[in-house]
Amino acid sequence: MTGPVQFIAVLVSAALLLLVLELVRRRALSEEYSLIWISFSLVLLALALRRDLLHAVAGWLGVHYPPAVLLLALLLVVFVASLHFSVIVSRQRRQIERLVEEVAVLSTEVRGLREAAGTAVAHGSTDHDETSGVAARASTERDAPGA
Amino acid sequence: MKSARVLAIVPAHNEADSLPGVIREVRTGAPDLDLLVVDDGSTDASLALLRRAKVRHVHWDERMGVGAAVRAGLTYADRLGYSCAVRLDGDGQHPASQIDQLLRPIREERADLVIGSRYRDGGTYPSPRGRRLAQWALARGLSMMTRGQVTDPTSGFLAFGPAAIDLLAEHHPGGYGEPELLLYLWRSHLRVLEVPVEMRERIAGQTSLTMLRLLGTAARMLLVVLVTPLRPAPRGARS
Repeated sequence: MTGPVQFIAVLVSAALLLLVLELVRRRALSEEYSLIWISFSLVLLALALRRDLLHAVAGWLGVHYPPAVLLLALLLVVFVASLHFSVIVSRQRRQIERLVEEVAVLSTEVRGLREAAGTAVAHGSTDHDETSGVAARASTERDAPGA
Repeated sequence: MKSARVLAIVPAHNEADSLPGVIREVRTGAPDLDLLVVDDGSTDASLALLRRAKVRHVHWDERMGVGAAVRAGLTYADRLGYSCAVRLDGDGQHPASQIDQLLRPIREERADLVIGSRYRDGGTYPSPRGRRLAQWALARGLSMMTRGQVTDPTSGFLAFGPAAIDLLAEHHPGGYGEPELLLYLWRSHLRVLEVPVEMRERIAGQTSLTMLRLLGTAARMLLVVLVTPLRPAPRGARS
């Protein structure tokens, strides 16, 4: 039941769990995305502590070599996690695109409004409205009358 | 309140060489149209040129694709109450003199989106044979699916009516999305019509469609063609 392998396995999975919790504490990892990792490290810890669990699952699946089940589960988890992140990245890309478009359109609208109101001179050249970068555009937005 | 004004949307990425010609042409050839150039992260002199020429423009720094540029243009049209919009390429291959022809079916309320087709009614346009074949296959597929007649599904010479502006300001496919656009409108029960137009070869610059990009686009289109009919009809669609 004991042996250096099990000792190391317990140590590593406990360290992983602590690492995830520490990242959440430091706000480096947001709560919603941490859940997937917390449950993953808990499963790992459980399997490290109770090897008979792994053997039971292997026996039930008909796998002769129990560590193979562990590898299979690992692969599955990594696959699901990557897919999950791809979905998040896709969503964020869509949101960012909409945001950039929205800011750019607003900036053009503001420029048009200023020109129509004849305040372009008071604000200096309108050319400086959106020099480059989102920060410059954000300032354009703040300058907008009524914003 | 929708006005009868029409906005000409010109998406452009690094088209500083041909943009002045396009701007001049729209201003002289279609003077009753308002012009909006959408500069999709150009790294050449496009932006400076637009400012100098005092052309109304939307600009962002990173390239996001022509789909995003057109969506931004339509968002602007929607916001400012334009009832119609025309989309011309920034490379000058779409003659401004043909805009009226494109807008007519929309003014007569026969269509929500009008496509200017290079190939309809035996139009002649010099395209490489491989691309022509790919376009033909795509056109056949789309025609069969939408039970309409599509001859030039990758044409970027388009006119949008009020319903199309409303719908596409919310959602417009990114990338090289013209066939996607067609499918999306068809899925939303909008009326799509093709009219024959004459196009020129690009005034200057290089087409942004390289072979690798073309392959990626083809794969993406295949996926879209398979998936779009399975999606629920979008919000704002006609029933």
